[in-house]
Amino acid sequence: MLQNKQTKQMIFCFMAPAVAFFLLIYLYPVARTVAMSFFHAEGMSDAVKTWEWCGLENYLTLFKTSIFLDSMKNMLKIWIYGGVITMVIAMLFAAILTSGVKFRGFYRAVIYIPNIINAVAMATMWISAIFNKRFGFLHNLFEFFGSDLAKMDYLSGTAKFWSLLVAFCFGSVGYYMLIYMSGIERISGDIYEAATIDGASKAQQFFRITLPLLRGVIKNCIVFWTIGTVGFFVWSQMWSAPLASDLPTITPFVYMYTITFGTQGNTERNASLGATVGVLMTLIVLLVFFVLNRFVKDDDVEF
Amino acid sequence: MKRNSASHLELKKQMRLLPGHLIVGLWCLFTIGMLAWIAAASLSTSPEIMRGDALKFETGFHFENYVKAWGANNISVFFMNSLLYATSAMVGSLLVSAPAAYILSRFVFKGNNVIRSSFVMAMSVPHIMIVLPLFSLTTQMALTGNKLVLILIYIGMQVPYTTTFLTTFFGNLSRGYEEAASIDGCPPMKIFWKIMMPLAQPGMVTVGIFNFMSIWNEYFLSLIFASSEKNMSVGPGLKSVLTAMQYTGDWGGLFAAVVIVFLPTLLLFICLSKTIIGGITAGGMKG
Repeated sequence: MLQNKQTKQMIFCFMAPAVAFFLLIYLYPVARTVAMSFFHAEGMSDAVKTWEWCGLENYLTLFKTSIFLDSMKNMLKIWIYGGVITMVIAMLFAAILTSGVKFRGFYRAVIYIPNIINAVAMATMWISAIFNKRFGFLHNLFEFFGSDLAKMDYLSGTAKFWSLLVAFCFGSVGYYMLIYMSGIERISGDIYEAATIDGASKAQQFFRITLPLLRGVIKNCIVFWTIGTVGFFVWSQMWSAPLASDLPTITPFVYMYTITFGTQGNTERNASLGATVGVLMTLIVLLVFFVLNRFVKDDDVEF
Repeated sequence: MKRNSASHLELKKQMRLLPGHLIVGLWCLFTIGMLAWIAAASLSTSPEIMRGDALKFETGFHFENYVKAWGANNISVFFMNSLLYATSAMVGSLLVSAPAAYILSRFVFKGNNVIRSSFVMAMSVPHIMIVLPLFSLTTQMALTGNKLVLILIYIGMQVPYTTTFLTTFFGNLSRGYEEAASIDGCPPMKIFWKIMMPLAQPGMVTVGIFNFMSIWNEYFLSLIFASSEKNMSVGPGLKSVLTAMQYTGDWGGLFAAVVIVFLPTLLLFICLSKTIIGGITAGGMKG
């Protein structure tokens, strides 16, 4: 297209607002957070002049802070256990829904529903309808079978982490299922037809054709899952009860929130430490992204 | 006769797929059951819920739970705030992103690719990375507690995703219309507003719904930038109702509040599930 003056003006006017927002909301904050992680600064709004250079000290401090290490352990557990559970169920459901079952659209929509509901509302439903120790579904179920588990409190002690994980994964399945479904639907039907003629069973077809061809899609899903795990905040907040210990469910994001914004019973603040947590989380996402790209080759089914 | 055997065949096929139906069906039953129980409990009294009799309605339907939640529990304030945030950020992000997306998809210029890939990268930046500087900027400018701040942040937050989505959408539109209009002497600005914008409407609707729902459901930024009761959105607002409930024991009111909070997005989804699901799988990215 001919680039006259009028066109150039239009390019500028049309791009400027979007670029301005990007600079203000993404580039500037990211740069400042990275910089802050190398300085000492107590309050978030402390002027840059008052920052004291301290090199990698914030990073070293974090790795000596036991609450932070606990939060990292929790995040790792969410990433691995939750990731495996969610990905396997999502893949299973995607395989079922693309196998020609009736009511496919209905199933797909219902399984996706938790994703469109406010997480606070969703978590409140889980806490009360399912995990309440007096009238929750789980309590009634165990009581029906006469199991001792009916007397358990699912929201404290060791059960706390697992009830949180189950509720979180339940909601995540729908999203990954949709991605896997669209991946599977992009695989040509001819391949399956040929395999069927050659006598391959449905299971063989799934493990020999579908899974290998979905490598790239699975890789993307793992990156999305990592981003989700790093941003794990509201669910953890919802599981924190006033009287129980939050250690089983604290995540780095929650830790960062408490040390930068402070909470009841914790008045000590350290904004630069919070910034360091942010940088570490971003590095984790980047690391996962690059490691996966290095070792998993992209394939024919692009998503 | 022929038709009969076809439906017989279909039935046979579905019988073979029965294990699949069972697994997925139970999962769906559980989801619907949970929503239905909450809806039922929101019409019961707290003692009934505690006894596990939420589904019996022995004392009738208690619609006053909704009145209580809407008024006394302040849900009306949170609801209106969220409506304001979600609507204005949805409109704002479309106004900012649509022109940019059009340029990115149509014009070759220095920086085009840099901007595109920056936007893609921005989509995976955790909020934890951007919140501190933004908060400090707001305090320095003495804008804390101003609703406009959160709206602007939401707009900016949606710009990379919205622009990327719409760039693909514009890219798939034929150039024929523009070329014809440009030969007729129509200025490029006018081509955009009069020809391209109407053509891009389906894409704008899809991404608009996404943005609306994700802002309605957003929690962290709203917690930070709208912390006062009068600015709170539904997420942190509902959490404060839940905390209060632990002292008042008003389960019916809490569940009514839960229903009020999830109803708008649920209704949107029920009406537009095809568009929404199609958008997720086409546009990819975005949790």
